[in-house]
Amino acid sequence: MNMVRRSPATYMMLLPFFVLYMYFTFYPIVKGFIISLQDYQILGEKTFVGWQNYRQLFADPTFWASVWHTVLFTLLSVPILVIVGFLLALLVNVPMRGQTFFRAVFFMPMILSVSVVSSVWTAILGSYGGLVDALLNAIGVKQQIFWLTDSKLAWVSILLITTWWTAGFNMVLYLAGLQEIPAEHYEAATIDGANAWQRLRYITIPGLRRVTVLVVFLQIIASFKVFAQVYLVTGGGPAGATRTLIQYIYEHAFNQFLFGPGAAASYVLFAMIFIVSLLQLRLISSAEQGG
Amino acid sequence: MDTWMDVQPAAITQSNTQRATRRERHPIAFCVASLLAFFWLVPLAWVILVSFKPQGSNVMNATGWVTPPYTIENYIEVFTKAPVALWIWNSFLVAVITTFLALLLSTLCAFPFSLGSFFGSRFLMFLIAIGLMVPGEATLIPLYVVFRNLNWLDSYQALILPGIAIPFGVLLLKQFFDGLPRELFEAAMMDGCGIVRMLFQIAVPLSRPALAALGIFTFLGSWNNFLWPFISTTSPQIMTIPVGIPFFNSSYHTDYTLPMAANVVVSVPVLVAFLLFQKQIIKGISFTGLK
Repeated sequence: MNMVRRSPATYMMLLPFFVLYMYFTFYPIVKGFIISLQDYQILGEKTFVGWQNYRQLFADPTFWASVWHTVLFTLLSVPILVIVGFLLALLVNVPMRGQTFFRAVFFMPMILSVSVVSSVWTAILGSYGGLVDALLNAIGVKQQIFWLTDSKLAWVSILLITTWWTAGFNMVLYLAGLQEIPAEHYEAATIDGANAWQRLRYITIPGLRRVTVLVVFLQIIASFKVFAQVYLVTGGGPAGATRTLIQYIYEHAFNQFLFGPGAAASYVLFAMIFIVSLLQLRLISSAEQGG
Repeated sequence: MDTWMDVQPAAITQSNTQRATRRERHPIAFCVASLLAFFWLVPLAWVILVSFKPQGSNVMNATGWVTPPYTIENYIEVFTKAPVALWIWNSFLVAVITTFLALLLSTLCAFPFSLGSFFGSRFLMFLIAIGLMVPGEATLIPLYVVFRNLNWLDSYQALILPGIAIPFGVLLLKQFFDGLPRELFEAAMMDGCGIVRMLFQIAVPLSRPALAALGIFTFLGSWNNFLWPFISTTSPQIMTIPVGIPFFNSSYHTDYTLPMAANVVVSVPVLVAFLLFQKQIIKGISFTGLK
């Protein structure tokens, strides 16, 4: 369209977005890389040190521990959250009384602030006086269970909290996917004598393939970025057992003022997410070609 | 696309007997859903109960929650001890301004791209695509440096500006504009309609679902944003809810009553909004997720 090509109005329309975008998104991407190559003192000297920050990072066992925690959380949370979201969607897709209510209930925690969620669950799972503790007490379990301060149970708690908080999001995506499967497919299958399990296996699950690819990858990326609920509930403890990569970045940059190593760790996070994004693009294009 | 809410009216209007009997035929699903909904709601019910208990109540005793005494003392104290009302206002202000500007700037930016190529369009699209690949969590340090150099740390600008020019918004709207019939724009162009008028008089009115979805997505993202406000704000007057709540709660480790009252207070506005706009919110989520 000629008019668009010639019109200076086109560029005027792009300008406000690009000014903000370049300054607050694009420039920081470049700047972050430069900082990662510097010995960056926020108030003083900024000297170029090459790859030293990265070398220092890769030699730091707490860095690898935080990467491992992030990967571990991703490996555990992705299947749980995808499957719970899928099952909830199947459940509330069944025509029944209160359907809209159930959908709202399962989704609702998602709109609560991460700080509220963390505060609430800290109180629920806290030792000596939390909800779970008191309930166990009431049924005669006198032994203290340290949900938040035992290194293994802390992860269980975080997974539980994250599931309660965000599974409803995946449910909504799956529900939208379920509406796209034509009802005739189910009717035809029923006439052919397919039972409920066969309809699920041969119609529902294949019909949700595109949504599943989307949900899985959105979830992987979200899980890689886990920070707030862990930080607010366990503080990364006990003894760093739940410190995630973003917490490592945060502590290096904003507690110890090590901007260089923090920026280098940020680029590692970026690389992890970038690889997942590329995989996603490839899988989505192949899923679309495959129908 | 149809979302689950679209299915509701059809299910209701189809009030023939077959539909009605099918509704009644799933008592098992109803029971499972009720049980799950109970577990989903228990944390919130408990929080509300505890928030009305007098400070220093014996929370170890599970039966103590459901029996009097109750008090509104905690709520009064939350409002007098902490600027909770201000935090709610800050969150609201930041979310509204961010959403408005994000919608305006993304719309202006997306439309020219949708009308066809112009000088530099491929390069500019490439720049936007880069931003899509890099998560905001990976550029916290340079963003902090940028705002430090501007002397804008701990300000509304810092809370608002980075959230406006989001690549996702432009891509979502461009995709939607691409789906509008070309003839509309060609006809308008014949009549000598300029690109800005074309956008606001033809494209925008037809793009309400996409704009609503993006608006809800941006608003919720801003309302619940934790990491950047957590890093960039230090004074309680500028804090938003996600940062203010942990700041407030950190001084109450043993007694849950005040923190829980604070959690209820800051969650009420968003819960009311959710109940009012449930349909649009769910629709918006599935729209932004699946497009």
